[in-house]
Amino acid sequence: MTRWPAGRNSRAGEEGDAVEDLYILIGSAVAVALMVAVAAWARIARPIAALDPDSARTLLAAEFPDHAPTRTWIAADGAGLIARAGDQALVLYRLGDSWVARTLRWEDALKAPVRAGKVCLKLRDPAAPVAKLAVSGVNPWPPETNDEAIAA
Amino acid sequence: MTLDPIKPAFDPVTWAIPMFVVTIVLEIVLGRLGKAKATYEAKDTATSLAMGLGSTIVGGFTAAAIAGVSIWVWQNHRILEVPMTAWWAWVAVFFLEDLTYYWFHRIAHERRFWWASHVNHHSSQHYNLATALRQTWTGGVAGTWLLWLPLALIGFPPAMIAIQKGISLVYQYWVHTEAINKLPRWFEAVMNTPSHHRVHHARNPRYLDANYAGILIIWDRLFGTFIPEDEKEPPRYGLVHNLGDFNLLRVAFHEWMGIGKDLAGSRSIREVVGYLFGPPGWSPDGSRDTSASLKAKWRARESAKVAGAPEQIAAE
Repeated sequence: MTRWPAGRNSRAGEEGDAVEDLYILIGSAVAVALMVAVAAWARIARPIAALDPDSARTLLAAEFPDHAPTRTWIAADGAGLIARAGDQALVLYRLGDSWVARTLRWEDALKAPVRAGKVCLKLRDPAAPVAKLAVSGVNPWPPETNDEAIAA
Repeated sequence: MTLDPIKPAFDPVTWAIPMFVVTIVLEIVLGRLGKAKATYEAKDTATSLAMGLGSTIVGGFTAAAIAGVSIWVWQNHRILEVPMTAWWAWVAVFFLEDLTYYWFHRIAHERRFWWASHVNHHSSQHYNLATALRQTWTGGVAGTWLLWLPLALIGFPPAMIAIQKGISLVYQYWVHTEAINKLPRWFEAVMNTPSHHRVHHARNPRYLDANYAGILIIWDRLFGTFIPEDEKEPPRYGLVHNLGDFNLLRVAFHEWMGIGKDLAGSRSIREVVGYLFGPPGWSPDGSRDTSASLKAKWRARESAKVAGAPEQIAAE
């Protein structure tokens, strides 16, 4: 989408091109706003329900096909999970109508702090630096008796 | 008839902007009415389109320098005189530009330094016409435009190269859709199509590093990177490790940040070279996944399934 600036050999020509570029830019920005508004109006995102044990298993199998999770903790709002697979924590959380998957050391996951009702997992990745998953009184993090308390 | 060899008579991409808007709105409306397969998530769409708009602005800063180098090569070092008015010259530039695009695209996927610039185009987990406009902000810096200089060196006028690059970009726009399934066999055999490009945007291990075509899929068939879309395994779109949010700066720069982090922890020249120019996912101890290792694991799982199937039947 880069316009070719060559051949602007007169000052008047350069100014004319600059004005034309500005019009195109403003028009494009207006068009972007219109298209986003239409996309929001249409409500045609993928349907995505809160996770339950069955859907969590399916999602884990798709995102971590080489891991064998033994215990799965599902966030209070169903928008994420932490599963244990050996010494690794498999983390999944919702973004829009899709999912983001990462791993970290199980020990680090256990030590993750809870702030404002969410467990904050540092993922050490510039592409996804932190995962925040909702906790509740009946569904605390870390599990009170280590992984024994995590729902199977 | 004369054509300016330096300044293009028109910019196909600028001319296509109204078509982009109309067709995106049309795809959304047809998706809403259930007449076409299309999913749009508002924040994802906003991110894609903002990346497209930002690419136009950021690209403006490097466009003059890039064009200047191309013009300099053509004016001072061209080997042949290629007339812009000759039909055969347009046929030649069509094929040569498309071949150049194939190699640019392949390098942009298979070597991390150039992947860092291209990765944002693949960062949406949706595949729709808006995704087509999720363009790079760092292409000028990454220097992949150098690959087009041989065309100027051969003697193709810079304006001709620019027009053909624009035509290629506009062609590639429409293949970013799930609304079109498969096209007639002869077309699928020769041209890049929505089906072929869905495979290219898929993160299923079996589909990784495939279908780099711009306009003609023949290059992938010729160089062994063609993989057909298998209806039994629908593409799952996005990155092997998807982005954690919709922050535009993260979309544009996350892989560059990752490279910086890795270089800061490098302990040898080998590691520096590997982190910069190895395949995406390269690590000194092989602890991270590359496309090759992901494909190997996928093949192993498939083999295990086949080997396990008779035992399973016997057990039943």
